[in-house]
This record gives sequence, C-alpha cells and structure tokens, in this order.
Amino acid sequence: MNKAFTGEHLLPGHLGQFFVILSFGGALLSTLSYYFATVNKNPADRSWHSMGRWGFYINSLSIIGVGVCLFYILYNHYFEYHYAWSYTSKDLPVYYLVSGFWNGQEGGFLLWTFWQAVLGNILIWKAKSWEKPVMTIVSFSQLWLASMLLGIELFGAKIGSSPFLLLRKAIEAPIFSQPNYLSFIKDGQGMNPLLQNYWMVIHPPTLFLGLASVVVPFAYAVAGLWQKKYKEWVVPAIPYALFACMILGTGVVMGSLWAYESLNFGGFWAWDPVENASIFPWLIMVGGLHVLIVYKNSGHSYFTGVFLVLVSFIMVLYQSFLARSGILGETSVHSFVDNGLFWHLVAFILVFLGLVIYLVVTRYKEMPISKKDEETYSREFWMFVGAIFLGLSCFHLVLVTSIPVWNRMFGTKVAPPTDLVGHYNIIQASFAMVITLLTGFSQFLKYKKTDTAKFFISTLVYLLVALLITVPVDYFSGLYKLHLVFQLVMLGAVYSLLVNGKVLIDAFKGKFKLAGSAVAHIGFGLMLAGAIVAAGTRGLVSVNESGTIAIAGFDKSAQGNKISGDSRENVMIYKNEPVKMGDYMVTYAGDSTAEPNHFYKIDYRRYDSKGKMIESFELKPKVQLNDRMGMTSSPDTRHYLTHDLYTHITALPQPKQPAGTDAQAAADHGDENNDKNYDPPIAHEIAVGDTIRFREGYMVLRGLKKETAIQNIPLLANDVAIGAKIDIVSNNKNYTAEPVYMIRGKNVFDFSRNVDDAGLKLRLTKIIPADNKVEITVYQQPENKRPWVVMRALDFPFINLLWSGTLIMILGFLLSIFRRNKEVKVV
Amino acid sequence: MKKSSIIGLVVIAIGIAVIISIYKGASTYGSFTDARTSQSVLRVVGQLDKQKELYYDAAKDANYFSFYVKDKKGEECKVVFRGTEPQDFQKSEQIVLTGQMVSGEFHASEILMKCPSKYTQDKIDVTEAKAKSASI
Repeated sequence: MNKAFTGEHLLPGHLGQFFVILSFGGALLSTLSYYFATVNKNPADRSWHSMGRWGFYINSLSIIGVGVCLFYILYNHYFEYHYAWSYTSKDLPVYYLVSGFWNGQEGGFLLWTFWQAVLGNILIWKAKSWEKPVMTIVSFSQLWLASMLLGIELFGAKIGSSPFLLLRKAIEAPIFSQPNYLSFIKDGQGMNPLLQNYWMVIHPPTLFLGLASVVVPFAYAVAGLWQKKYKEWVVPAIPYALFACMILGTGVVMGSLWAYESLNFGGFWAWDPVENASIFPWLIMVGGLHVLIVYKNSGHSYFTGVFLVLVSFIMVLYQSFLARSGILGETSVHSFVDNGLFWHLVAFILVFLGLVIYLVVTRYKEMPISKKDEETYSREFWMFVGAIFLGLSCFHLVLVTSIPVWNRMFGTKVAPPTDLVGHYNIIQASFAMVITLLTGFSQFLKYKKTDTAKFFISTLVYLLVALLITVPVDYFSGLYKLHLVFQLVMLGAVYSLLVNGKVLIDAFKGKFKLAGSAVAHIGFGLMLAGAIVAAGTRGLVSVNESGTIAIAGFDKSAQGNKISGDSRENVMIYKNEPVKMGDYMVTYAGDSTAEPNHFYKIDYRRYDSKGKMIESFELKPKVQLNDRMGMTSSPDTRHYLTHDLYTHITALPQPKQPAGTDAQAAADHGDENNDKNYDPPIAHEIAVGDTIRFREGYMVLRGLKKETAIQNIPLLANDVAIGAKIDIVSNNKNYTAEPVYMIRGKNVFDFSRNVDDAGLKLRLTKIIPADNKVEITVYQQPENKRPWVVMRALDFPFINLLWSGTLIMILGFLLSIFRRNKEVKVV
Repeated sequence: MKKSSIIGLVVIAIGIAVIISIYKGASTYGSFTDARTSQSVLRVVGQLDKQKELYYDAAKDANYFSFYVKDKKGEECKVVFRGTEPQDFQKSEQIVLTGQMVSGEFHASEILMKCPSKYTQDKIDVTEAKAKSASI
C-alpha cells in the first residue's frame, strides 16, 4: 500500500468511495430521524422531520455522486479499477459503457438504490401525513442498499462490495509488485458479447425501477400497521402498487425480449431460476393489488391484502439473494457467483422478514378483519380466489426454484425435475388457466351481491362463444397436439379477451372508470395466448430429416422419461449450396466481419408451386469469436406480422483465419502447401470451348490469351505467359478464373487460381500445341473442407401477440394508475 | 362450514399436490454407475476430460457431439449430446448433465456449465500479464 504506483487515477475512486460512505451516513441519519419524527408526539417539534429529509437528500445526492464517479472511471477507461477492468474495454461504444455500468452486482445495487432514492423524493413531496412512517421504512431499505456498496471488512466479515475497488487489491498477482504495473494492462476484459445488445441498455434500469418501487406499497402497509391506521394506508398505496406491477412486468418482458433477440436457446422464456425469481414479486404484488381493491370496495380480505403486500417486498429481497449469492450455481445459467455477500444478503432478508412477522403478530388482533363471509356470487370473493391462485403460482415457482436453497438448508441433495421445462409449463399453465377464467367471469359479478340467474346466463353464453372460437384456433395453430392444459389456457385467454372486450366497450359508453382493468386484462390474455402459441407450436425450419419433432417441454408425455434434447434441430450447410428447409431454399451466401462481430449471410428464398420466387431475404446471424469467451452466437430474426423466422449459427469450422491473409496469398504464389485441403487433383486435356464437369457443376474453357502482366511479377521480354479464361458454374452461380502458365528461360511456372466460394483450385499445367489443347488440373475441396456453417432456424408463430399484449397490459395499468390516483385524498 | 375454511382447505390441497408433483418429478444427482444401474433419467455432475477428444463432425451429423466426462467419483464415461457444442463448453469447470445411459454411453439431453470465468475472469488475464512481466 505504501508503494507508489505510476499512472493510477486515484481521485475518482476516493471521491466515489467518499460518496458511498456519505450515502450510508445519509440513509442512517434519515432512518433514525424519520423514526423519531414518527414516534414524537409533539406536533410543534419539526426538527426530527426536517433532519430526516436532509438525511434523505444527502443520501440521494451521494448516490448521484457515486454514479458520476463510476461513470467517469468507465468512460476514461481507468483499468486500475477492478470494475472498469472486469466489465468494459476500450472498443466499447459509449452506450455499452452505460450498460457496463450495471454489468456487475455493485452496479445493480447502485441502480436499485438510485431508483429507491427517486421514489423516496417523490414520497417526501407527495405523501403528506404518511411521509414520516413511510419514509422511515424507505430510508431503512436505503440504508441496507447503501451497506451493500460499502466494501469494508468488519470483524473479518465482508460488508458490501465497492465498485471502486482497485484491480491490484481485487486480484493477487506478482505483477502488482511493480510500480508501473498499469503499463502492462492495456485493456479491460470487455463485455460479454451477449450483453452487447440495446435491450441490455434499458432492461436493467426498468427492472430495477420495478423492484425498487415495490418498497412503496410495502412501506405504506408497514406504516399502516405500525401507526395503527389500519384502513387508511390502502387507498394511497394502490397507485404505487399499480406502478410497481406495471414497471416490474415491463422489465421482465424486456428481459425476455433480450433473450429472444440475443441469446440462442431458441425462445423467450427458459424457466431459468433467475428468470423465475424476477416474477416472484410481480405475481405476489398483482395478487396483493387485487385484494387491496377488494378491501377498498367491500371491506373483506384485509389480512390477505396486507400479507401479500408485505410478502411482495420480501420476494424482492429473496430474488436478489437468489441471483447474487451464487447459490444457484448448479441450476442457473446466468446467476452471479458469490461475491462474499452471501450472509449480508441473508441478513437483509431476515431483518425485513423479522419486521414483517413482528408487525403481523402484534397487530393481528386489531386488524379490521371482517367477521362476515363474502357472498359466493360477489366480485370480491372471486377476485380474492384469483389472488390466492396467483400466490399459489408463485409458491410453486419458489418451491422449485429454491431447490438449491433447500439442499443447502437441510443438507439434502435433491436435483430439480429432469424435464424441468415441462414441469413448469404444465403446472404454471394450470394456474394460468384458472386465473384467466377468473379475470373473465368475475367481470359479470358485482361487489357485494349479484343476480345469480343473469350471471350464469352471461357467463355461459360467453364461455360458449369462447369455446367456438378456441376450437378452430386450436386446430389451425396446431395447439391441439399439445397437452390439454395448454388448450385450456387458450380457452381461458379467449374467454377473458371476450368478456373484458365487452367491459371495454361498456367503458367507452360511459363507465370509463373500468377501462384500465379491462385493458390490462385484455393485454394479459393476449400475452398468455401469444406465449402459448409461440412456444408451444414453435416450428423447426432447419430439418434435414422428414418428420415432425416434439417440442421439448410441451409434448404430451412431458412428465415421462423422454429425452427432450433429442430433437435434431441443427443443419449443416455448405457455402453457396442451396438447401431446402421447410418452405424455403436456404443458402449460406458468405460472411462479413465488422470486428468483433462475424456476420453470416443466410439467404432465404421462397418459391410458389410454379417455381416463381415470391420472397427473398437475407438474415445475418452473428458470431463473436473471443479468446476468453469462445464462440458466442446471436440470432437474427425476420419479423412478420403473424410469425417470426429465427436463425442462428450453432457451429462453425475450426478457428477462422485472420481475414484476408490466406486466400489471396495462396492465389498469388501458387502455394502448394494447401493442396492437402483438396481431393486428389484431376487433369483434363481440353480444347477451347470444351467443358469439364465436376461435383457441383461444370466449367468451360472460353479462350487462351497471352498475358502481358501477372500480378506482382513484372514480365521480362522473353517471358511467355498464357492465361486460360474459364467460366465456372457451380450450384447455379457463375464464377470466372484465369490460371496462368509461364515460361521464363528454361523454367516453367504455373499460377493457380482459387475459387474459394466454389471450393475449387484450377491450374493450367500443360500446353500441348500439337493437339491444340491445354491441360487444366482441377482441385476440388472435399465436402467437409469447404466453408460451412451449422445453423438452426425456428419459426415462432404469433409471437407478436406476446409483445403487443404486454404493451396493452402496460397501457391498462397506466389507465388504472390515473383512475386510482384521483381517489387518493391524503392530508 | 365457512367459506374461508373451504378455501383454506383447497389451498392446502393444491399446495400438497404441488409438493407431491415436485417430489415425484424431482430427480437426483448421481454418478455414471448410478445411471448404469438405474437406466432412468438423472443428473450427473462432473468435469470435462479435456485430454480426450471432443468429437463433432458437422458433415457426418450436425447433431452429434460426444465427449468424455469424469463424474465426482472419478468414473469416466463417454457422453453423447444431440446438438452442437454449447457455448463456453471447453471453459467449463463443472458440468451438470441430464440424461440416461444408452448401451454404455450417457445420452445427455441437457448440459449445464458452470463457468466462473464468465463473470470473474480474473485468472486468465493475469496469467497472461504474468508472462509479460516475466519477459521484461
């Protein structure tokens, strides 16, 4: 430490670390002050209150300071900082430097605490009489998040992890004993190519805003119980709950859009533990939101509402633990490895869990729990049932996703189900079916009491219509081949669409208040329908064997012992050799490089029955070849209104040569060394106009010409050089080549020509003046030496329903926020 | 009976059903020996044997990839995967295979790799840096 190192920029790090500690201090001051302001019964004494505010302002400004320092370091490529070195490199464009910002765990926490600070400031502005207790909780949560960034050692335990850690402190290596070690570190590690996608610029901020916003309804619930204002907290909490649901849902779907566009597992949802964890809080919050509305309108289900809202925040903490503690190592593809924060994260959960349990236990007796049962034919009852099913759906996800946690807690060694995707699909679809049906028929019910006869008639009529629509949909989409439960989800989704469509029409006729929920339900129904059809009837385009392939996780025997990966989804294609796949003629037409990306041009053509081309386009899936991360492949997708054609490269010939060195050099110098890449040569004696046939086509000798110059080699006066002009047709593509024969003094040279795209090398090896013929020697590459790619192409029908459904759902939430916000009259 | 108790019972029933279905579906982590004796689908945790050949010939079969894995008990077995070589495969420190034994070969339907290098790539570059500093 006492050593002087040259070239380091320590100021931004010191400043950043100062802000980290200041943000912690600010949060601590704010929490304590708000706490005393809340318990202080003297209304004239405002000192605690204003101190709480100041504490929070200090915290907010420090967080911005931390962000600025970190970005300054990333922007200037100060690789003496571990964070900059780990996640960025000099060739990254600025917008990816922004996403490098939240590449690491520390950046994630920073984003989270930033959004929480923004929300806290909104609460200071808006919450009025609720400010003190609510902000106590928000500040307390800020305190924990700030502690995650501290990066200090206390009694041998690691508290937090700082983004300003120096590289030489993060890693032990002999190189750091040299004062000028920085001059050896030319560049950072760079960003994982999969994260270099525009969705990665906006998905994390959205997701973290969603996660952060869950704290607001939670804080209201805690404040309500704490201050014994049991009923009053519900109304102001509802708009925030709606906001949390909206943003969290958007963030999760953005993540699946990223997966769909940038990853290559061939889909938008893989039931990876980290993905599942991100929807725990969403499911619970959506359930809680519905029950809060039930309570507001009927006075029923108070406890369930409080419970779900409280649990939703615990789920936020739990998902953060799952993603960051490294516990999912054996089951998840994209969880972080343990950063030493395992117990810190556990403590974060336990503290808030303890708070929740304490409040629920001590206040339970005083809660306004209605003694009366709900009417069976009332909206509140079935909304409540729906919320319970959302909770059960989350319960199942938590149970399975947490298998590594159970193993760790109980010392067991249980592995997740072997057909994990099938398991999730079927069970979650069962819940989804119930929930969609409920979002439908509960619309026919009124709060308190409903006319049963009318209810049954309209419910059944709509169900019948839904059935009439679902049957052909089922048939034409191919859903009928799947497990029954997916067809029932489709029925539920159609039913929900119809009923909520009717509510929406009524809304336009005057009951505009109801528009928000109707629109959100329509969006949800569309999302489910799109997801089921796109994932369940996904078509494999890249088939080289006839026969249909059961899709993993959706086949009828999903719980059986079938090996799901046994579908042969990859096809090898040679360059310029069209292959028929499904409706398309597919050709690997070439590749281009824009470092660090290698693009492979895959040419798609579709012909009608008469052989006329009706469509032609090119997809360019990309591959990054990287010493550290190996081959990283991203798909390219052709979007249509009703389906998507998705293509990606799954294997390539062995390491690509550095571009542009080999082929030209070999052509110019007649390099014999690469002959081993060809089949044994065949010599043909031909005259001008004659044809030589080869495996993929034919070539014609057009003429012989006396050359006056050969590239790079000046011809001397006595040299004789003859070029043979040859037209080649290979796989219906035309090429020309001109091998040259030269006599200089008593020596004979020949200059071969390569036609790489056709896998040919041609030499003019002899001139036979007597017969007026020449000898052309043809070298042809064996099939496996020719350029090829292995690709996989999938067709996702109606995936646009999923994305548009999401947009519609967001719109529905937004309408509801406006409506519910008007109902808030806080003093 | 009150409606809330009925719901409570339904919730408990569904909860139990869910737990049972997980329990029934749950597999175990095992060794190749276990796979040989049980002949059923299970998960094997092991390491890729980097000394032995990784076989993939796209021209012959673009969906056939084979390699050798040593399980935690040290037993080695040939593994066949119907697909292409997964990303980061050769960098993996640990592999979790899901599949079953078919005539002496382990046919994997899923391969999950644990590559700490993906997020903390500290090792590789430092060795590189070491080599550089040694030459000076």
